[in-house]
Amino acid sequence: MDSEDDMHDANDVDSLEDFYSGDTAADSDDDNDADYDFDNDSDDDADAIMLHRHQPNYTILKEEDIRQHQEDDITRVAAVLSIASVSASILLRHYHWSVSKVNDEWFADESRVRKAVGLLEEPVVRYPNAKELTCGICFETYPCDMIQSAACGHPFCSTCWEGYISTSINDGPGCLLLRCPDPSCCAAVGQDMINLMASDEDKEKYSRYLLRSYIEDNRKTKWCPAPGCEYAVEFVAGSGSYDVACQCSYGFCWNCTEEAHRPVDCSTVAKWILKNSAESENMNWILANSKPCPKCKRPIEKNQGCMHITCTPPCKFEFCWLCLGAWSDHGERTGGFYACNRYEAAKQEGVYDETERRREMAKNSLERYTHYYERWATNQSSRQKALADLHQMQTVHIEKLSDKQCQPESQLKFITEAWLQIVECRRVLKWTYAYGYYLPEHELPRRQFFEYVQGEAESGLERLHQCAEKELQTYISADGPSADFNDFRTKLAGLTSVTRNYFENLVRALENGLSEVDSYGACSRTTSSKSTGGTSKARGGRGKGTTSRSSCSNKTPDDSSRWYCEHCATANAKSTNTCQMCYQRRA
Amino acid sequence: MQPPIPQASRARLFKEYKEVQREKAADPDIQLVCDDSNIFKWTALIKGPSETPFEGGVFQLAFAVPEQYPLQPPQVRFLTKIFHPNVHFKTGEICLDILKNAWSPAWTLQSVCRAIIALMAHPEPDSPLNCDSGNLLRSGDIRGYQSMARMYTRLAAMPKKG
Repeated sequence: MDSEDDMHDANDVDSLEDFYSGDTAADSDDDNDADYDFDNDSDDDADAIMLHRHQPNYTILKEEDIRQHQEDDITRVAAVLSIASVSASILLRHYHWSVSKVNDEWFADESRVRKAVGLLEEPVVRYPNAKELTCGICFETYPCDMIQSAACGHPFCSTCWEGYISTSINDGPGCLLLRCPDPSCCAAVGQDMINLMASDEDKEKYSRYLLRSYIEDNRKTKWCPAPGCEYAVEFVAGSGSYDVACQCSYGFCWNCTEEAHRPVDCSTVAKWILKNSAESENMNWILANSKPCPKCKRPIEKNQGCMHITCTPPCKFEFCWLCLGAWSDHGERTGGFYACNRYEAAKQEGVYDETERRREMAKNSLERYTHYYERWATNQSSRQKALADLHQMQTVHIEKLSDKQCQPESQLKFITEAWLQIVECRRVLKWTYAYGYYLPEHELPRRQFFEYVQGEAESGLERLHQCAEKELQTYISADGPSADFNDFRTKLAGLTSVTRNYFENLVRALENGLSEVDSYGACSRTTSSKSTGGTSKARGGRGKGTTSRSSCSNKTPDDSSRWYCEHCATANAKSTNTCQMCYQRRA
Repeated sequence: MQPPIPQASRARLFKEYKEVQREKAADPDIQLVCDDSNIFKWTALIKGPSETPFEGGVFQLAFAVPEQYPLQPPQVRFLTKIFHPNVHFKTGEICLDILKNAWSPAWTLQSVCRAIIALMAHPEPDSPLNCDSGNLLRSGDIRGYQSMARMYTRLAAMPKKG
């Protein structure tokens, strides 16, 4: 990302970019300390992490940028190889737009490259003195000025060229590899010829194909997969995560182009998505609406009537819908027809046989899947809702709030940031459920630890959500400027920062495979929260974020400049004894 | 897409027609005939290439020329039954790249016939329309392939004796 973009991002208050280009947001924080009545000491660390995480290892390209890049590459190759830019374009397209590959191949064996690509040095056929030539397609004879040729010199009349080119362009992107119509000739037909012969509409199509080819054939670039988004992403491999946040606000994984899914890896996501598409709809319905017949196991939908169910022929088994026991056993003896205590009793006595247990297990596995799927899907829809709320906030509420509280909109950026954080957290939380589903069931300590940190994340997020939604509402609907608005600002900005930090650490811990469990063993509440916060993964300098943000007052030894509030986990400067967030005294 | 100009394809076909009339003796293996009433319908008689199981046979091809010709390729199929990996045994449809995506408007009906004769001599068993025939070649049973092909040449592409 170049500096111009940074400036643009940092100033563009309304846009979604602010959060995602976390580096710029952090920059602007530092630049305008006065904007925030917020202790920057505690914020620095979060910024440092954001800086690491959002190290610009990718660039979002708008259409002009793509054209510019493409043009630059073509110009560079044309200059280095001393060839026409049309030829350079053909060469680059052939070598998937890799400038270095073009240079290597060309200087290794120019004539082989020329042959393969169809760049002829001189014409194959010459008619130096001809006044008239016969078109190779319509076989009509034309005066020379109505005849056109590619570099090879094979003569075709303008009308036939137009038809040839138009047919090829309308056949699809293959037109980018167009060759001379003569079957034995390999001469490439470049954009110069297209521009000379094609209709405006076809020229436009051709240039779109050329632009698309620059992104699609290049290993370093991809289109943003969001529907309707026209941005492309240039990615520098090898540094940090695959997560890409497009300027259209869509976040996706560079590697698998599914939506962004940290901390879960691509193969798990693929498995999860496949599982969802294969099972969820059917299974959700079946689970919600049916029970298997206890005898023949066919799913039965109970659409009306009493609990006395008779399965359809040939099974015809009569059973109780509530306890799935045989109806013949129901009656006075079992405590009445609908007091099916027989089930519990039988289970206690261990009467249920092997098949029953297997059925139970199958059901449990489905139930387990549904458990995770439901929560995954709920967080997904929560995220959509939060996105909508964010939009509403940006378009309506911020302005209103600005009027009510007499605050310039530029100083209300912390609200947008809070909402962007909520959106991001919902995304992470969603994927932790896919993570949880695939976490081996027998690794109990790991599961417990996972569920603990997940639970903490959930409640942290709820706290932030509550503050950004409910508490903010009071300031929006206030009659005039509220005295404690600045306190609210401090609180929300602090919560945002704390939550961001917690989730950053959570992501890293999960990506790490919760390896702390191995060293800490089955964890007490205190140890586990400490280790989440303290997860330091030695990856690209990320290990810097060794700060505990969870709700315990443990201090990591290298972090002596601040203390953590016992009540709200806010980091406070050492110089104060009262929490800047919740005003509780330091323990 | 430009509107098709039947006039252009008609003119081109007419040129091919005149060329065929003029050069009748040029290629004794190919005999191209234009339909009496429709210049977009042609038939061809081609001789099975020598040293192949098709030698001695005469095969009839049907051409259906589209209005976009020569920008689009003609549709060609065998009317004579032939046992060949790249020809559909029932419909006579031909799998040949120049009749599909490798078509060039500089090809003519005459050169298509030549390409088909070349295909008869050099089958491509890896993209078969006739799997039985392709499998014989792929499994290395040259003798089996040749005798089957020769049998069908005798049955379908040679004048009946007596």
